[in-house]
Amino acid sequence: MGMTNSAPEPAALIRARGLTKVFGERTAVASIDFEVRDGEFFGFLGPNGAGKTTTMRMIAGVSPRTSGTLEIFGQDPDLHGSEIRGRIGVVHQQETLDMELSVRENLLVFGRFFGMDRAAIATRADELLELFQLSDRAKDQVEPLSGGMKRRLSIARSLIASPRILMLDEPTTGLDPQARHLLWDALQRLKRGGTTIVLTTHYMDEAEQLCDRLVVMDQAKIVAEGSPRQLIAEHASREVLELRFPNGTESIDVKVLEGIGDRYERLAERVIIGCENGEAAHARALEHGLDPESWLVRRSSLEDVFLRLTGRTLDE
Amino acid sequence: MSAAQSATPLRARSRLAAIREAAPHPTRWRHIVGYMLAVYRREWQGSVFSGFIEPIVVLAGLGIGLGVLVGDKAAEITGGVSYVAYIAPALMVSSAMNLATSEAAWPILARVAWVRIYHAIIATPLNAADVMVGAIAFIVGKVAFAAAFFAGVLLITGITTSPEGALGMLAVSILTAFAFGAPMAAFSVTQKSDQGFAFLFRLIITPLTFFSGTYFPIENLPFAAQVLSWCTPLAHGVALSRALALGTPLTNLGIHVAALLLWGIVGTIAAIYLFRKRMLK
Repeated sequence: MGMTNSAPEPAALIRARGLTKVFGERTAVASIDFEVRDGEFFGFLGPNGAGKTTTMRMIAGVSPRTSGTLEIFGQDPDLHGSEIRGRIGVVHQQETLDMELSVRENLLVFGRFFGMDRAAIATRADELLELFQLSDRAKDQVEPLSGGMKRRLSIARSLIASPRILMLDEPTTGLDPQARHLLWDALQRLKRGGTTIVLTTHYMDEAEQLCDRLVVMDQAKIVAEGSPRQLIAEHASREVLELRFPNGTESIDVKVLEGIGDRYERLAERVIIGCENGEAAHARALEHGLDPESWLVRRSSLEDVFLRLTGRTLDE
Repeated sequence: MSAAQSATPLRARSRLAAIREAAPHPTRWRHIVGYMLAVYRREWQGSVFSGFIEPIVVLAGLGIGLGVLVGDKAAEITGGVSYVAYIAPALMVSSAMNLATSEAAWPILARVAWVRIYHAIIATPLNAADVMVGAIAFIVGKVAFAAAFFAGVLLITGITTSPEGALGMLAVSILTAFAFGAPMAAFSVTQKSDQGFAFLFRLIITPLTFFSGTYFPIENLPFAAQVLSWCTPLAHGVALSRALALGTPLTNLGIHVAALLLWGIVGTIAAIYLFRKRMLK
């Protein structure tokens, strides 16, 4: 290409400007800008339908964008899709494994799609089976594997050609907590090995634990961007006091709520109060005559950031 | 940098690149064949009956049973050869049709809609066109294998006496598999469930065997049915296969071959177009 990009430090592997996707009447992604840098763990956090999966599909070169620019490794996926896909591993939200082949065969077949030779594929496949603790199931068929194992196999398969970027769409949805933690560990190891990882999630704790940087998406737009810590510092107070009112919160006076902490959100059965000191805020709440059924104090999380930015909780 | 500023040659180059992205790659489709072979190695027992044994059972049953019933009258229809020798080349072609259509039905729909592995494959360097070309190539290859087996049986049993005729029938079966497999793949990639298949097989594929000159000459049909029959690939395959097997003079060779190729090529283009439409949203 005749152009050398004045790349920021560290270099961006994925760069989107005004990226937009329209399906008929519905705008799934509305002019978003973001960059994914080399070696980072990047997240798209948002509720279902926010446009995360569509964005991932555009990056993976299987969904032509409506407008805007998109560069992966400095190339346009509409024009160099095959080349780009050869350096990206994709894990879909729903399982896409072949149920008739064995665990190992699923890997072998995929290596061929990336143009690898058989010997290299075999070595890499055994390495990945080991890494994802599937070696003893190598010869088994896929169908009877547990959900967690299938997901690990999907990730192993996406890594067969040692991609620069690994993309995961809702990787832990539907997994039990133990399988989730096992998967998180595996992803952390991959990141330490130098793989750039992009994931979508609607789980706050997942984003907070894994991501170096993330964008919060809501209704097709990016509403905030930064590291989890930055986002919390910027958009939430230090602590959160949650007061539970099973009979509803409508009758509580606004004046009272305003007097307790720095800010508040009123949900159907909960009032969430952002403050410096949760204990002190609780004491003030009681002084103001509030009588919650129960209460708790916790550190602010991304959930509070999302609530603050959109006025809604993520699972709404 | 912006599209508005770019000169025409760049835009033309971009258009070329975009076409290259959508078109089938000259060789990548072979990895789909490799993948399907890996699957076939695991489940070949399941398809041995439908692909290999069934056509021979049908040939034995109809050739001998119906042959006796038709008796001396057969010669009037067949021009002198036995009834079994008359229907064998046609049965070979209609078996090719049956195998090609069923292979292009469930196995493709499953990979689009149920196990969804095609979604994962188009996220690799292969594109949608490579997947369709490879899937159709595998179907044609599988039919060729089954047809070669059938031709071998015909030669061994002496139903077919000419090796050249057997080779000719094999070539026609391959063309017929292409002519049916590709349009069927195009249909399958548009389906959400397999309900459409029941309709298609009962109303079109199965009856076709009876109206394409397999068991009796097309000329015995009413004129309108004859016209309809020539609009489908099977009649062309049957006519070609029989003439080659029996060594009877071949009229309209070019038209028959062209008709089969046209069905296959248009079917392949339709399959690629419809598959892309479904997958690349």
